[in-house]
Amino acid sequence: MIAGYLMTAPALIVIALVTLFPIGYSIWMSLNTITSTYNGFQFSFNGLNNYVTVFQNSMFWQALWFTVTYAAVTVTLELVLGLLVALALNQPIRGRGLAIAVMLIPWTLITVISAQMWDYIYNGIYGVLNAILMSVHIINVPVLWLGSPVTATISMMVADIWKTTPFVTMIMLAGLQLIPSDLYEAAKIDGATGWRSFWNVTLPLLRPSIGLAALFRILQAFGLFDLPFVLTNGGPGTSTTPIAMLAYKAIFNDGNFGTGTAVAVATVGIVIILALLSLKALRTQVGEIE
Amino acid sequence: MSKQSRIIRKAMGYTVLLLMLLIIIAPFFWMVDTSFKTNLDIGNFPPSFLPHPATFEHYIRAFSTYGFGIYFRNSVIVSIIATLIVLVLASLASYAIARLPIRGKAPLMVVLLAISTFPEVAVISPLFVIMQRLNWLNSYQSLIVPYVAFNLPFAIWVMRTYFAGIPKELDEAARVDGAGVLTTVFRVILPLATPGLFTGGVFTFVACWTEFLFALVFNSSNNFRTIPVGIALFSGQFTIPYGTIFAGSTVAVLPIVILVLIFQKWVVAGLTAGAVKG
Repeated sequence: MIAGYLMTAPALIVIALVTLFPIGYSIWMSLNTITSTYNGFQFSFNGLNNYVTVFQNSMFWQALWFTVTYAAVTVTLELVLGLLVALALNQPIRGRGLAIAVMLIPWTLITVISAQMWDYIYNGIYGVLNAILMSVHIINVPVLWLGSPVTATISMMVADIWKTTPFVTMIMLAGLQLIPSDLYEAAKIDGATGWRSFWNVTLPLLRPSIGLAALFRILQAFGLFDLPFVLTNGGPGTSTTPIAMLAYKAIFNDGNFGTGTAVAVATVGIVIILALLSLKALRTQVGEIE
Repeated sequence: MSKQSRIIRKAMGYTVLLLMLLIIIAPFFWMVDTSFKTNLDIGNFPPSFLPHPATFEHYIRAFSTYGFGIYFRNSVIVSIIATLIVLVLASLASYAIARLPIRGKAPLMVVLLAISTFPEVAVISPLFVIMQRLNWLNSYQSLIVPYVAFNLPFAIWVMRTYFAGIPKELDEAARVDGAGVLTTVFRVILPLATPGLFTGGVFTFVACWTEFLFALVFNSSNNFRTIPVGIALFSGQFTIPYGTIFAGSTVAVLPIVILVLIFQKWVVAGLTAGAVKG
């Protein structure tokens, strides 16, 4: 029946034109030296030269390492915290509806706004974080939280965890509610309570939700851009520059379209490999349960 | 579970709930609080808890001096048009995928899901070159078209499950009455699938409202900046005008908070769609 194809066509054409075609064009751009002229962009094919330049540049490896560690730390902490909060909320307690409503707010917040908000909280001169820590005598002099690589990285991670843990919690909570309560009853008859029932019933059945949340968050973490753009602009120095920002700066600040695009394409390659691996892991987990 | 351990569990539940509410609300409170403080007050250390005196000067300045109204208008136009287009195209596509015989549905859905999680930076340079050739830089379509494309996959994904849940007999009844496919979709099925429209619509709107990288790169001229770009580049030459930034931010957050609270049920449904479907 032709109507089916006609009805899906408009959506698929838009998606293909704006996502699939540019990805192909991206690969082509990454194989060219591109110069900006009055008549637009001039392409000249240079093979894999851009990739050689990128892989020989220590900045690429630094940004990649930063992105990977940032993703690993934030996603792990978000999963643990999200699971804890979801477990606490997965019982008939008052104010659950309110809690869920409030949790939606950070998720809908414009990242740039949350970055400005945290920038003011971390401010070294009149930031409220210093005021609180000084009043309880944890520190004696104001700290420039965004002024050194380690504290800037941690500050950024905290802002990220604050914003995205609620999202992870919602996915976990949905997963918890799908676990039939008679499984717990059965576990109880077998003598499993508390921790044992958590390890043997809750956790295995929650693996699809955990996997899904992890996949979404890892992919998002590889696109990390808005938060450092406002909070640190990649600094101090280049210590908090994620890979997406490296590509952006190479392209739009330095005008290196070829090498910048090569950075972006390399990132996407890594993301695809990660996504395929976690999808495969996810599928075997789901298969185990069914 | 014994009665005692149940009480302990509940107590822990309430503790976590209260802590979480506090942690989520505190930075927000601080932002709104600061937007009502005078500049003199903002510069104090340690900072005062509440503004004294409270002032609206930052709200006035955000709109008059800093042109926040332009950013707000641009964000509203781009987000609403993109959301409407997404809903129309996604309705057609997801109905066809849910009901009509099409080859390769399963791989299509997987590809769609994969695209919806793609980092924007992957296509930023080719799209920039294309937009420049089309003369689309600094326009509304430079954002509307990419926003439609990037949000369609998730909308189709979510709406398909709603369509699949509507009894097929309704389609057949409509066909017997002589309705064509399009009439069936828009007159019979869509009114029953409004929850799906709400979910797809709210997710698309929020994604458009918060998007930063495309807006930053494609619309650099002040007249076409959206709220996120405006707020990111608000910084003054020598000092950061926090009061004004937070006044603008508070205004930018309000419509979304209201929208999400109204459509809360469907937003939760959307967040859990993945968890349910695996």
